[in-house]
Amino acid sequence: MDIEEAIRSRRSIRAFTDQPVEREKIERVLELAQRAPSGTNTQPWHTYVCAGAARDDIAREVLKLVEKNAARKYEEYEYYPASWKEVHQNRRRGVGWSLYGLLGIEKGDRERTAKQSKRNFNFFDAPVGLFFTVDSYLMRGSWFDAGLYMQTVMLAARGEGLHTCPQAAWITFQEPIFRILGIPDDQVLVSGMAMGYEDTTAIENTLVSEREDVANVTHFIGFDEN
Amino acid sequence: MKVSEAIKSRVTVRQFLDKPVPLEIVRELLEISKRAPSGGNLQPWNVQVLTGDPLKALVDDVDRKLRSGVSETPEYHVYPPELVDPYKTRRRIVGQALYELIGVPREDTAGKLKQLSRNFRFFDAPVGLFFILHKQMEIGQYADVGMFMQNIMLLAKEYGLDTCPQEAWARWPVTLRQHLVLQDHEMMFCGMALGYRDQDAVINRLVTERETFENFVTLRGF
Repeated sequence: MDIEEAIRSRRSIRAFTDQPVEREKIERVLELAQRAPSGTNTQPWHTYVCAGAARDDIAREVLKLVEKNAARKYEEYEYYPASWKEVHQNRRRGVGWSLYGLLGIEKGDRERTAKQSKRNFNFFDAPVGLFFTVDSYLMRGSWFDAGLYMQTVMLAARGEGLHTCPQAAWITFQEPIFRILGIPDDQVLVSGMAMGYEDTTAIENTLVSEREDVANVTHFIGFDEN
Repeated sequence: MKVSEAIKSRVTVRQFLDKPVPLEIVRELLEISKRAPSGGNLQPWNVQVLTGDPLKALVDDVDRKLRSGVSETPEYHVYPPELVDPYKTRRRIVGQALYELIGVPREDTAGKLKQLSRNFRFFDAPVGLFFILHKQMEIGQYADVGMFMQNIMLLAKEYGLDTCPQEAWARWPVTLRQHLVLQDHEMMFCGMALGYRDQDAVINRLVTERETFENFVTLRGF
C-alpha cells in the first residue's frame, strides 16, 4: 500500500472481525514504527501488546470497573483541559453525534450511548490490544514523540492490511492494565489501541470524521500566491 | 511510495538544496495529512508556513541575536531538567554520531554550537513550518500533534521531499511572536524544515540507531 493510501484509509475502526492477527505482522509493524523520529533520538515509548488471555483479562476487569462507574481521575497529568474552547468542543461533539447518528442512537438515549462507549473496553472486538506508555517524569516533548510513533504504528498497520483504533478511553481505568501487563509504576499510559481486521459489514466503520479546511488552520507566509 | 518504504527512508535531513517547494505541494501535504487522528477529533494543530522573504527575515533576525549573545526563555520544557537513562545515553549517542560525522571534535563547543544554530536557518530549506497549539492544551493533545506531523513527514517522501522536525525553535518564543501571526492564547510548539535533500552533504548520511524490538515491546498472551 502506498503512503498516501495508508494515510487516507486510516480511520478509527470501531468493529473488528475475530480473525486473529499473525504475530509476524505485529512484529513487522513495530519494527518499522521504531524508525519514527523522537527528540534527540530518545525513543521514549514503551509498547505492550496483548492477545488471548491477557487481552481478555484486561477487557473483563476494566468492564467491571466501568459497570461500577469506577473511573479514576487521570492522576499523573491533565490529559485534556478542564474546560474547552468552543471550536474544540464543537469538534468533540461533532464526531460523537456523527457516530451515534450512524448507529441510530438518538440524542439523550443514555443507555445506548453508554453501551456503544463500553465497546471501547472490549477493543471493539479486535483480537489485539496495544498500550503505549512513557516514563512519568518525561514532559510534553516526549508525549509528542509518542504521537509520532503511534501514527507510524497505525500507518504501518495499514501496510499489512490491518486497521486500528487509538483509544484514550482507557486512561481512566489503568489499574487492571498496569497489573495484568506488569507495567512499572514509573510509567504513565499515553493511549490504548485496538488492532485487527475491519468488519466491513459494520455501519460504524463507514464513519469518516470531519476535518477542518486547511485554509482555516494554516497561514501561508511569503508564498507567491498569497 | 509504499508506506513501509516511506517509514524506512524518512530520516532527519540537515542540509537542503536551494530549490523552492511549490505552494501546491505544501497545501497537498497538509490536506492529506489532516486525516491524522486526534482525541475527540479536536485537531489541536494550527500551522504557519514560511518561505521567501518572511523566512529570510526570521532566520536573519535569529542569526543577529545569536551573534550578539541574545537568548530567550522557552515557554515550555521539551525535556526534563535531568534526563535519565536510557534516554540520556540515546541523546548522547546521537549527538556524538552527528558531530563525529561532520568532524567536530568532542571538546569543540563552538563548533557544536555553530551546528546547532543551523537549525535556525532551517538547514537552508526553502520552507519552514511551525506547529501552533492553544495554550490550554494538555499533554494528550501534544501526542495528537505528533500523529499529524508524522503524516506530513512520511507523505513528504512521496513527493521526493525531506524534513527535519525541530523542537529547537522553542528557544526563540519572543522572536517567533514578532515574525508569526500568534495570538496571546497560542504557543509555538515545534518547527519543521521542508525541502529537497542535498544528496552530497555528509551530514545527511546519519542514520540514527533504534532500540531492538525486545527492548521496547512487551508481548502478552501470544
